[in-house]
Amino acid sequence: MSQPRAWIGGGALAVGMTLALGWLSQVPYDAAGDVDAVVRLAWRTRGTRVEECRRLTAAERERLPIHMRQEEVCQGRTVPYRLVVVLDGRSVVNETVYPSGARADRPLYVYHEFAVRPGWHDLDIAFTREGVPSDTAGEQERERLGERESAAPPRLALTRRVMLGPDRIVLVTYDAEQRQLILKGYGAP
Amino acid sequence: MNRFLRRLLAPADALLNGLYGWRLNPLYHSGALVVLTFVLLLVTGLYLVFFYRLGDPHASIVRITEQAWLGRWIRSLHRYASDAAVVAVGVHAFRMFAQGRSWGPRALAWVSGLLLLGLTLVLGWTGYVMVWDVFGLVLAREGARLLDALPLFSEPISRAFVGERELPGAFFFLNLFLHVALPVGLGALLWLHVSRVARPGLLPPRGLLWGMTGLLLALSILWPAPAGTPADLLRLPSRGPYDAFYAFWLPITRELPAALTWVGGGILGALALLAPWWSRPRAVERPAPSVVNERLCTGCEQCYQDCPYDAIAMVDRTDGRAGIMARVNPALCVSCGICAGSCAPMGVGPPGRTGRDQLAQIRDLVAARAPAPDDVVVIACTHGAGGVAQESRFDGAPVLPVDCAGSLHTSVVEYLVRSGAAGVLVVACPPRDCQNREGPEWLEQRLYHGREAELQDRVDRQRVRLVYADLAEVGTVAAALELTRRDVGMMGQARREADIVLEAECDLVAAQGLDGRQGPERRQRSQGLEGRRR
Repeated sequence: MSQPRAWIGGGALAVGMTLALGWLSQVPYDAAGDVDAVVRLAWRTRGTRVEECRRLTAAERERLPIHMRQEEVCQGRTVPYRLVVVLDGRSVVNETVYPSGARADRPLYVYHEFAVRPGWHDLDIAFTREGVPSDTAGEQERERLGERESAAPPRLALTRRVMLGPDRIVLVTYDAEQRQLILKGYGAP
Repeated sequence: MNRFLRRLLAPADALLNGLYGWRLNPLYHSGALVVLTFVLLLVTGLYLVFFYRLGDPHASIVRITEQAWLGRWIRSLHRYASDAAVVAVGVHAFRMFAQGRSWGPRALAWVSGLLLLGLTLVLGWTGYVMVWDVFGLVLAREGARLLDALPLFSEPISRAFVGERELPGAFFFLNLFLHVALPVGLGALLWLHVSRVARPGLLPPRGLLWGMTGLLLALSILWPAPAGTPADLLRLPSRGPYDAFYAFWLPITRELPAALTWVGGGILGALALLAPWWSRPRAVERPAPSVVNERLCTGCEQCYQDCPYDAIAMVDRTDGRAGIMARVNPALCVSCGICAGSCAPMGVGPPGRTGRDQLAQIRDLVAARAPAPDDVVVIACTHGAGGVAQESRFDGAPVLPVDCAGSLHTSVVEYLVRSGAAGVLVVACPPRDCQNREGPEWLEQRLYHGREAELQDRVDRQRVRLVYADLAEVGTVAAALELTRRDVGMMGQARREADIVLEAECDLVAAQGLDGRQGPERRQRSQGLEGRRR
């Protein structure tokens, strides 16, 4: 290739590649895709802890190391909740929310997103504690004192008509101070 | 597969050689260009970190962008250099794989290179999250979604981005810490990456260095990188500028369940990391490492100095004679054969490819068909060299293929000239594209600059020509062949000698070397050299 042609060709290629780099560095992309607006349900709450306890027999206590000989042993669990969401008259969620963690002793998490068209939407949410087994409900149910305050009430509910503009997200979350579900975001009244 | 990929690469190499010459061909310097971009990122990043505010990240980026004289283009240069880094890493990895330079002793470089790429992408991810614009938010949320699929965290990370409350400053602090601390890991990986090569060329030649820096700088000034719309946790991400180099995976993963993304990514990552094992030749096809003939080794250290992979060490002799000798570490030797070309007494090299083996081969060829008085014999590297190496004749000229031009012993060239060949055209790969890093460079020095094992003075160098050509540059070889034929045609016939016995001369060299050149001073120098190389 002759020198002038190489200079021109080389320069043009270098400039072209640099411009391509610049363009690819800021290529237009619509991360939202076809979604116009979103109703988002997201909250975290501590569930109610239920413990089943029984007294150890003398023989059982004898088999334990001396520093572990308790009168009573308890096995606990956190009670799951039932989440039912009705959006514009259509049931979109009907599920049991179990506590997280390998021992199911961590808080309950709710996270759902529903793509909707901008405009008015009817939202009906119920978050209800599932029943405590009848054989333990009476004397064996123990809500620990520390958890009693922070645990969610047996039933949380929200029924609201919300307005969503284009690209807006309305968030339904749990307010631990008010102990109720609240709305946040552009669609919130 | 490597051969097919190499064929894909060849036209691009040839085109850029035509435009920039092999010295400045950016494809040949892809690895060094990565280091250059890292340097640019470090310098510009040091400036930017002084103006970054954890309390209001996006506003601080906007303020930097509004510094018309400095901040705007420094930030843009930081960003474009990071993009160029991904391109250069991609080209470099593809190149090494296509050339079959990813297995055996090179596996460490391959694996560490892939880890470097991964770390670079993570660094880019943290960098974009630092900006905290819409793109940063999308990256953060997608990253959190993927991480939440792993049983690592007691609480889902995604919760931080639902909009329940403002993001805590601790998040931005952790992100900044990662962005600043990870380059230390990058440096360590880079060291590991080049730890098995001698004399690594970390920076590109000056013309390419300033050319690329200038282009990125010009782009930064003329087309500054925008600061996107600030992130809003309660608003859908708007259509905006996304960096395709760092978010090429985003449109795919967003459509897939997180677990599937991990499985797919894990399979691809494992395939890439294990490439040195599944892409290597079968055991019977793998070339054997070099061996040293202790009887012939004079301890001259030339092979030790020439080895591009630090695979040769000088050790005390074990044959009862005083002094040192070379020893090849088979775990580091890639069987390039460059030591065969460097050894005057022909005492080292891969089995069947030592200088003596090459001489035997050329003697058989000459015996079968003596060169005609007007014959120019072509010696071509099988890895590239204009694609002529596989031909027995190129444009009527006899062709002798060699595994690497750097492994060619100069005695072969001498033998051909003294056998009556009008000329010898050695076709080597361009020096920065050598399969074995330094072969053409050492060959040129051996032919024309007296580097051991040098072409003897008694050989008329006007009859010897060295040309650099890539796989697709057959035209370059054809032109060089025509030129050589014309030049030697004007010189008259070469004198043909009979009964050329070069091995005897080499044995003499070996004997002289052991008698006279192997003194305590030489050994001391060798030990000093060893210390420096460590």
